[in-house]
Amino acid sequence: MFVLYNTGMITEQKLRILTEAAKFDVSCSSSGSDRRNEGGIGNAAANGCCHSFTPDGRCISLLKILLSNDCVFDCKYCRNRVSSDTPRATATPDEICELVIEFYKRNYIEGLFLSSSVFVSPDHTMEQLLLTAKKLRTEYNFHGYLHVKGIPRADPRLVHETALYADRMSYNIELPSERSLRLLAPQKSRESLLLPMKDLQLSKIAFKEEKRKGKFLPAGQTTQMIVGATPETDGTILRLSQSLYRVNGLKRVYYSSYVPVVHDPLLPEKAAGEVREHRLYQADWLLRFYGFSAEELVGEEGNLSLETDPKCAWALRNMQLFPVEVNRAPLEMLLRVPGIGARSAYKITEARRYTTLRFEDLKRMRVVLKRAKHFLTADGKFYGEKREQAVRSLLAEGKPEQLSLFSDRETVFSALTGEL
Amino acid sequence: MIYFYDGSETAFLTAFVLSYRDEQATLVSGNAQLSLGQETVFVRADETSAARARERLLRYDKDCMHDLSMLLRSGDPERDRAALGYFRLIAKKKCPVRGMFAEPAVIETDTCLRRIGTELEHLRGFVRFLVCESGALYAPISPDHDIADLLLPHFRARLPLFPFAIHDVRRKKAAVYDGKNSFVAPLDRAEVILSADEENWKELWKDYYRSVNIPSRERLKQMRGYMPVRYWKFMPEKSL
Repeated sequence: MFVLYNTGMITEQKLRILTEAAKFDVSCSSSGSDRRNEGGIGNAAANGCCHSFTPDGRCISLLKILLSNDCVFDCKYCRNRVSSDTPRATATPDEICELVIEFYKRNYIEGLFLSSSVFVSPDHTMEQLLLTAKKLRTEYNFHGYLHVKGIPRADPRLVHETALYADRMSYNIELPSERSLRLLAPQKSRESLLLPMKDLQLSKIAFKEEKRKGKFLPAGQTTQMIVGATPETDGTILRLSQSLYRVNGLKRVYYSSYVPVVHDPLLPEKAAGEVREHRLYQADWLLRFYGFSAEELVGEEGNLSLETDPKCAWALRNMQLFPVEVNRAPLEMLLRVPGIGARSAYKITEARRYTTLRFEDLKRMRVVLKRAKHFLTADGKFYGEKREQAVRSLLAEGKPEQLSLFSDRETVFSALTGEL
Repeated sequence: MIYFYDGSETAFLTAFVLSYRDEQATLVSGNAQLSLGQETVFVRADETSAARARERLLRYDKDCMHDLSMLLRSGDPERDRAALGYFRLIAKKKCPVRGMFAEPAVIETDTCLRRIGTELEHLRGFVRFLVCESGALYAPISPDHDIADLLLPHFRARLPLFPFAIHDVRRKKAAVYDGKNSFVAPLDRAEVILSADEENWKELWKDYYRSVNIPSRERLKQMRGYMPVRYWKFMPEKSL
């Protein structure tokens, strides 16, 4: 066989502490890498793979774990901060590696998501992460997916070497503005997060151009932002995401709605709404796959509507462009019709090569028409609601409120006119 | 007329030829409720007739036999009707029809094929191997569609050092990789001796599953949507 184990199994308690501490990191995807098996164990599937789902509806793809939760930083929003009273644990690189191999063999996981609190110092932490990644690849001969978190303020050489073993790396921006960072995460700064991202991006380009052997972050970089802990608007957040995609070449930006795990006068007491997080993800998708720009979706100081999804909201603001004819509209326009996704758009463009599509055809093709019918004609016929106001109220997702004598004026007005 | 066939590709093509001029034809494989007064034919696979049909169909659509072999793996009750309609359409249009989504037979076929694809994708994630004393891996599954052997290349590519068997307990067959070759064999019941620390790793996995959940955000419906309950039986984190 190919592995000699020199440690015992990680203890149940340690695993529990280090998982509990890692679980609020939302990144879990295992896609984007096509690393092959080279005589060891594992490979990476370009489309990623989900191995289980937890009762909170999230997928388990990677073993998500911290190397240590013994932090010297004091970020206000984090349960592992130095001033928080929480049980601490640190795992050895071998304990982690063995756990990965044993879980992977049983097809429990697709790979490892390795993060850590900053223990001792940023350099020491990065060294340990690097050591684990290197061991896993070379000693344990593991070729599955490996996502490693970058530690802010660590030596760039350590980060660079880690990137030679990892499929993906990520620095969490956490807070969308410098001001909020200074307030809540005094040891981090925008520079300490954005510079290493930039560094890695340039190194990846150089690595490709020099056609060097091996791989350098085949699945690129991602980041995460906490939403609702600080006053930034959706407009600000989406503009930042857009520039991260366009300028820094990031693969994904994750949004995590704020959950109060620690109490601090600087932080809100209540959890941020999950609807807001959902809307941000929808808008993010529109940026990446539907050809929208952040400017089209929401004003700099504005927030996304909670009642209608961002594509619908955009369409309602641009009613002069609709309805479009299903048999002639270009793909880019079909994708902008509320309710039509990539799959429906594909089916429509395929099918209309052979025949003129009527509404019955669309129904039979299982194109969801609940929203789309207000924005489409099929073979010249329109089946939607003609009055714009009525469309507006039909498309709001919130439950209609029963008017009471005591509702405030705005609510009554909104219920009557459908204006939001 | 009802045409019974045994579910094999040759028999399907034979039945396809036999029933071609019969507008009312129904193709049936497996169990079906017979109503009185319906004429039935039991189709015996005929290699010559099937070969002729195959050649003709391939001339119209060079990928259609792949569609057929996938369709015949489907466990959906409507798959025979879908397949008959789909291949009649190919013969009628004399060209590939896969993009003609306004045709009911194409939609039905597309749905059947997509369900198989979805289950395959599901099982790549949900298969759970047990580690045996010998170091070999054993995974029981009970899929809706006959796809055990389609899982072989995926696991063979990632676990080349471990012999393994994926046992379809419903169809009583196993897809096996012996460390060198892979094959499919009939298998009724398997005697498995587990490795000594198998239970411990399983327990650790269950611990991990419990810890990584955020209880304040319970969304059971979403979980069941992504991971249908019928797959839970062989997943340690879900089985009781």
